[in-house]
Amino acid sequence: MKKRTSVISILLALCLIMTTMAGFAEESGVIDGDLTCTITLGNWPPDTAAEAEKALFEGYRDTMAKQYPNVTLVPDYYSYSLSNYVPMAKGGTAPSIFQPPFTDPQLLISQHLVGDVTDALEAFGVLDKFSPSYVEMLADENGRIYGLPRDGYVLGMHINLALFREAGLMNEDGLPMYPKTLQELAEYGQIIREKTGKAGLVFPASETYGGWLFTNIAWNFGCVGENALEYQDEDGRWICNFTSPECIAAMEYMRDLKWKYDILNADATTTDWASAHSLLGTGEAAMNFAADDSVDQPTSNKGLPVEDFALIPFPAGDAGRYALAGGTCYMFAPDITADQGIALMAYLKVIGKLPFLDDDIIAGMRADYAAKRDRGAPVLPAISAWTDEAYNNAKQEIVDEFCNVDMRLYSDFFDSISQGTISLKSEEPVFAQQLYRELTAVIQRMITKEGADVEKALRKAEESFQEYLDDEINDY
Amino acid sequence: MKSVQRTGVIREYDMHSASVKAGYGFILLCCALMVVLAVFPLIWVVLAGFKDLKEFMSSTSLLPESFSAEPFITTWNQLGISQNYLNSLIFVVGSVICALIFNGLLGYGIGILKPKGHLAVKRLVMISLLMPTTISIVPLFMNIQNLHLGNSFLPLWLSYGANAMYVILFVQFFESLPGSIIEASRIDGCSQLQIFFRIVLPLSKPICAVIAIFAVNAAWSDFLLPYLVLRGGQLQTVMVRLFVFSTEQTVNADTMMRSVVFSMIPPIVLFFIFQKQLTENAVSVGIKG
Amino acid sequence: MSGQARKKRIRGRTGEQIKSWLIMLPGLILMTFFVWEPLIESVRMSLYKTRNVELVRFIGLDNFISVVGKDDFMQALMNTFSYTFWSLVLGFLLPMILALLIGETRRGKGFFRTAVYLPNMLPGLAVIILWSAFFSGEKSGVLNILLGRLGMPQQTYLTRTEWVIPIIILIATWKGAGATALIYMAGMAGVSPELYEAAAIDGATVWKRIIHILLPAIRKLAGTLLILQIISVFQIMYEPMVLTKGGPDNASLSLMQLMWQYAFGGSMNYGKASAVAVIVTLILLVMTAIYSYFNRRESDWD
Repeated sequence: MKKRTSVISILLALCLIMTTMAGFAEESGVIDGDLTCTITLGNWPPDTAAEAEKALFEGYRDTMAKQYPNVTLVPDYYSYSLSNYVPMAKGGTAPSIFQPPFTDPQLLISQHLVGDVTDALEAFGVLDKFSPSYVEMLADENGRIYGLPRDGYVLGMHINLALFREAGLMNEDGLPMYPKTLQELAEYGQIIREKTGKAGLVFPASETYGGWLFTNIAWNFGCVGENALEYQDEDGRWICNFTSPECIAAMEYMRDLKWKYDILNADATTTDWASAHSLLGTGEAAMNFAADDSVDQPTSNKGLPVEDFALIPFPAGDAGRYALAGGTCYMFAPDITADQGIALMAYLKVIGKLPFLDDDIIAGMRADYAAKRDRGAPVLPAISAWTDEAYNNAKQEIVDEFCNVDMRLYSDFFDSISQGTISLKSEEPVFAQQLYRELTAVIQRMITKEGADVEKALRKAEESFQEYLDDEINDY
Repeated sequence: MKSVQRTGVIREYDMHSASVKAGYGFILLCCALMVVLAVFPLIWVVLAGFKDLKEFMSSTSLLPESFSAEPFITTWNQLGISQNYLNSLIFVVGSVICALIFNGLLGYGIGILKPKGHLAVKRLVMISLLMPTTISIVPLFMNIQNLHLGNSFLPLWLSYGANAMYVILFVQFFESLPGSIIEASRIDGCSQLQIFFRIVLPLSKPICAVIAIFAVNAAWSDFLLPYLVLRGGQLQTVMVRLFVFSTEQTVNADTMMRSVVFSMIPPIVLFFIFQKQLTENAVSVGIKG
Repeated sequence: MSGQARKKRIRGRTGEQIKSWLIMLPGLILMTFFVWEPLIESVRMSLYKTRNVELVRFIGLDNFISVVGKDDFMQALMNTFSYTFWSLVLGFLLPMILALLIGETRRGKGFFRTAVYLPNMLPGLAVIILWSAFFSGEKSGVLNILLGRLGMPQQTYLTRTEWVIPIIILIATWKGAGATALIYMAGMAGVSPELYEAAAIDGATVWKRIIHILLPAIRKLAGTLLILQIISVFQIMYEPMVLTKGGPDNASLSLMQLMWQYAFGGSMNYGKASAVAVIVTLILLVMTAIYSYFNRRESDWD
């Protein structure tokens, strides 16, 4: 034990020395004058972006020019979508760096449409600081890494405290009595519907969102391990399983939310992510399955005062306490060279996406939090994608300084993650978007047709998705 | 008998009958109702633009609480719509030019020059009239990517130079021109291009006007190919922006309604300027086509 | 001498022919690039297993078999026919009626014409977004507000599988009916007023005049407009894409939307997308062939 501690302290010391050295190097300005290459940067703010944002990126460009004078940065306004990325990658016009959601890396990696940055990460000494769950999402089977997390989120529930108050669901301390389980969720929803006339739960069941949220509900009903919605059999074939008793029970729950408890918003099948936040934020619905990274949506964006807003953990089911974790990552063009890899990593360091804190980054964070506070968005601790403790603590301190909310309204959510009372789980491994699409169709059937046959609908979706899996991976 | 006779099934003489009179009253009522139906949604969307999100989501009143222009100004500035307007303008102007020149020349070839084999081309164009580009948008988009023409207006402009309907309209118009004028100028020694620019084009103002209006309207409303080609950011047109709003849900419902208003202003202005040409010429063209 | 002259004339002709083709060339190149080549390319791609934009191997009709065998294809096919059906019910007669009504007005004809044509100028996407607020099932939906004024309970619209297609067609009709009506009006104006006068003197009622004079006069035009309408409705895509995303439970999914989903909706299966496109093309070709067959027969009779 002792030995281990000493090893860690040596490592820490080494890190410290490295960072100080980096610091010294920075003062002299140039870090690497020999590195010569050109990188194109996706998601560069277009002319139509806010002035502050443009200035920020111009600042990054200046810093890069100082540190790596021979690296040319070419702004690209590309914002990733799977539909247009693939032909670009094939045609050699993909920007060097771009930002896909966590649903896509495995697909892009398996199809060799993204570049390997393992060596570059190694060169910056951050390869081993990756939170393991993120490594899983961003690496191939050989452990080569193709991306970096930009930010992560964990799914929980947004609640509108004004409606909870109106429904008499607040205790003396000004804290909400909130649903801890999915069963309670249905009951609380009913109380709210009765007392306020508003929807208990907004459920965005359009296109792929419904299926996305449903996977989390299904996990909590026990669709994990041998009952998982997707798994690989011993031959390595991907199999989907929507007709386990657990999955059927989860879907019956969805049906009951509409027909037995009647707590859903009227237009669930056309409600999307944004309108779900709107309904909660404008007081038309009391609860919404949503993540910690979108707390600004109902509040500053849709006008709900922060004191009327709380974030609670995802309700548990009889068979599980899971919360979906995901986010956005940085990935790289398939044809990047080793030099470009280094330059890109340097750029990510400058914009504060590697676990290093320098004055500029701290100043940036402070400015960001101050702006959030000013526009009425909750300032909350971010869930870190890095296992670097010093880095994480330093960040927490800055958050505390700007905190504008009663943390008791959030503490259960964050504690459940840090104390492990809830298990984080990333999205289903392959072709998640298609899986969501299939399941969304089933959910839509459940909430538009009273007495719809759950098992039959799930079996149909299962057949259809299995065929898809066979086409796309198994029989390829 | 009057020199210009009224059209219509109901004649002067019928109006003496009470039942026809009542029927005519009913017709007027229906027409008035139609006008209301056509215009009400437009008025509503402007009114909705005055509401903020809370009011838009919760209010059950059609009228906004206040008529301050501020929400419109805020939305305009926040989303930087002037840039999108400018992009749309560039896109529309280039598209109209391409639509007139390339389709016009092709129509001139098929309709007037008629070289050997022009009928095959005409038939091909006729068939493609039934197959709009959406059907082959996938390979088309791939071709554009392979030529590294993504994120540029060029392929979009040129796509308006390949419109089967415009070609056919040109052909029909050119075929209706008196052949003698062209024959005469040919004997005078004009080259084919000279004939086109000196003789045919000046005679073709009505058809050019109609196609220009069609192309302006089509280009302004176009968003599928522009969405794929222009990717995110800089060059987005108003309609691409609106499409992105509706698919990526980056704006609130009230802002969305104001963006809808912004996207409708230019076509409506255009409509009121050219309403005579539109409701008369365009129709006569439509009836032929 | 005469032989030389002829030669010169022929050479001149050939030169002129070449020049003519050169004038057409830019347009032809564009038509090839934007219309014809992609059409052929999509046929070719539909016969290949594709991985992204690459053609992996020739697989004959496998894409077609796989696509057609799926439930969502059959559903989309049925939906597309349902769109066509509803567009005939709602969208075909309405413009004719509008034209008839406006044509009979004695004052304000220009005003009515302008008003009904106006929606046609609006961008289709904006129209869909605008109407989505009308058909919102929440209490702030415009139709719900209007129902509330009449003392009726709040309804949902787009969550009803049997309503979505008629609603989408209703919106499309709102946009397009006025323009079509003007075309009919032009056709109706072609009927000589003397015919009506003569019929009136013979004692034919207004109804009889409509049935025996007006309708036969626009029959051919109606046939043309009908086939054009069917062809355009058959390609309906962005309307359901924006309004309902094809839902609920694929109840408004159209064939072209299915194509878009295969290509750009996450699976990037351009081979299958092309297979759907080819099927739609074939159906359209068959419809056109049927139309021209009847059209020709009719002209023969006339």
